[in-house]
Amino acid sequence: MDFDDTPDEAAYRARVRQALAEHADELVHLDAGEEAADPREQEQALRRTQRVLAEAGLVGVAWAAEHGGQGGSLAQQAIVGQELARARVPSLINHIGIGMCGPTVIAHGTPEQHERYLARLLRADDVWCQLFSEPASGSDLAALRTTAVRHGDDWVVNGQKVWTTLAHVADFGILLTRTDPGRPKHAGLTMFVVDMHAPGVTVRPLRQMGGQSDFNEVFFDDVRIPDSERLGEPGEGWRVALTTLLNERVAVGGGGNDLGLSVESLARLATAKLPGLPADRQVLARQAVGRAAVAALANRYTGYRRLTAISQGGLPGPEASAGKLAGTAAAKLVADAGVRLLGDDAVFAAGPGDDDAGRWQRNQAWLPGIAIAGGTDEVLRNIIGERVLGLPPEPREDKHRPFNAFGSAR
Amino acid sequence: MNFDLDQDQLDAAAGARQFFAGLSSPAQARAALEGGPLAPGRQALADIGFLGITVPEAAGGAGGSVLDLAVVAEQAGAVLAGPSLVTAARAAVLLADQPELAAALADGSRSFCVVDGEHPALDAVGADTFLALVDGDLVVGGGDVTTGRPMDATRGLGVVTLTGTRVLVPDAQQLWARARDVALVALAAEDLGTAGRAVELGVAYAKERHAFGRAIGSYQAVKHSLVDAWVGVEQLRSLVWWAAWAADTAPDELPLAAASATAFAAEVLERAAETCIQVHGGTGFTWEHDAHLYWRRAKVDRLLLGDAAEHHDVVAGLVLAGALS
Repeated sequence: MDFDDTPDEAAYRARVRQALAEHADELVHLDAGEEAADPREQEQALRRTQRVLAEAGLVGVAWAAEHGGQGGSLAQQAIVGQELARARVPSLINHIGIGMCGPTVIAHGTPEQHERYLARLLRADDVWCQLFSEPASGSDLAALRTTAVRHGDDWVVNGQKVWTTLAHVADFGILLTRTDPGRPKHAGLTMFVVDMHAPGVTVRPLRQMGGQSDFNEVFFDDVRIPDSERLGEPGEGWRVALTTLLNERVAVGGGGNDLGLSVESLARLATAKLPGLPADRQVLARQAVGRAAVAALANRYTGYRRLTAISQGGLPGPEASAGKLAGTAAAKLVADAGVRLLGDDAVFAAGPGDDDAGRWQRNQAWLPGIAIAGGTDEVLRNIIGERVLGLPPEPREDKHRPFNAFGSAR
Repeated sequence: MNFDLDQDQLDAAAGARQFFAGLSSPAQARAALEGGPLAPGRQALADIGFLGITVPEAAGGAGGSVLDLAVVAEQAGAVLAGPSLVTAARAAVLLADQPELAAALADGSRSFCVVDGEHPALDAVGADTFLALVDGDLVVGGGDVTTGRPMDATRGLGVVTLTGTRVLVPDAQQLWARARDVALVALAAEDLGTAGRAVELGVAYAKERHAFGRAIGSYQAVKHSLVDAWVGVEQLRSLVWWAAWAADTAPDELPLAAASATAFAAEVLERAAETCIQVHGGTGFTWEHDAHLYWRRAKVDRLLLGDAAEHHDVVAGLVLAGALS
């Protein structure tokens, strides 16, 4: 048992660190919880950052070389992620494209689609988004209602997507539609690549509870998609979507990184704030800091077990869902301990005199979304309960009946 | 990164599981509440070598690591075995330079108990050799044990009045602190096994028991509480391994890792045991069912060697002192 890199991993990490040092001036740097002043400028800077990293061989690390990747391992991918975090480089602007959309195009796309999209995606010449969730189908994704109807060589799409991260800057998206409402819900779906600049696509940013806009609603009004942009066969969309969701697990379930502000940030805040609290409040604050640190460490070391499995060539299984579930709970303990340390300043979303307050408040307001996005806590518990513990599923009465048999409910 | 057990440790775990399955069970923990003997008992644990896992080979032990011991302790916890491996682990540290006493620990010819002042001491009932820190010195001697009606008889708890002590190691505070941290690791490892088995029992019953026409494990209310208990167990496993590894390899990390693992263990085991009872419904709180034996262990262990509040305070103190930077 050890926490060290293998000699190969250590050599790779040294190369990554050197490349990041060489290009430091060309990369965006942001502290966790810090916000860029101008979102438009930030988008351009993040696109440039990804291009620089791609040219340095640090993007698409685990993608096959024939698709423009580095042909590396998931362990190398994790090392790049750790080193980017260490160098305070924020998430790649195209992290959804690289983690989810690209692998789906690789698995189900035609050679022409590979040629058209993959190299540009890696360089962030095109940014991608994932158009899955709808107002009436969040956790129950297969109940989606956006339709695609065949007209000659094209499909005509109508409907609405929601909670679409990056749609406001995206150039392309993978779009899950219903093409046969007469079949059971999982069987009537088809996946497409959609041009986000096509006529009839309208993107409206959604403002989240913390005030910022990371998500969007996307409306499709008679949007025409050529049949050549279909991913997989008509009616096979669910199988294609499962590829995306499996890759989401690989992308999210890998490392045991802290969600939200780190326990190290909490330690720094506590060192600064604790001595100023009355003695009885110090006792309570120390309890909160201790409890949060233990939860964060439990999640971090569980992440190291998943990294070990990846390092030995395994893929994250359904138990990776536990990482997000426990990581969210730990992040909430860290966030609450931090906010409580702010004392009376904790009633303000920012200031009046304290730069830390805004950062911890943004973190606190962000975490309820983390418990929902990318698999709600409840869905994750179902996955673990059914696929890891072997407990029977809840009855799903709509699973085998034609989708349109449910009348006004749909 | 290789944060996993190796093949020898996996084999040791399988061997320990087999040993304990033949000799120890919740039924015997129940019988112990009514005056029955501890199972497997000191001599059986000594004969298989489990009391000497971390005793040096020169003193008749296996010269193994704390991680080796933690792997076995998990299996002991799963069947509520007694006496504890916590005392064996702690005494082995204290007796590092006392080959004769260490040999007597490993071969079971003496029955040790480690005493923390006036707190009820683990494995005090029936002990003949008591170790304690008195005025900064490690002492050994006899003791008079006062005990109440046991909550969990497998723990052998009693308040000890030392008799006829002599100094083994003067100025032994550092040795004492390390021994206590290693004891925390062993306690968390036993609790890991107990909690894991409690969740297994709950999951098995939730698959077989039907209500309102289907298995109760299909209901999210039941399923999700079992999942939360299971996730806690897996997170605890990571802390136990880290703490054991730190005891063996990174002593500077041991205080943080040991306090973290023990604080987490107390709460994970309590939740697992309470979930196990709740899932079993009406049979879950009967004397005949095993669930309350896991619950008894949970309610006792959470108070041994400091409670979660004490360990959380230790963690906070270490974090504030820069343990993570």
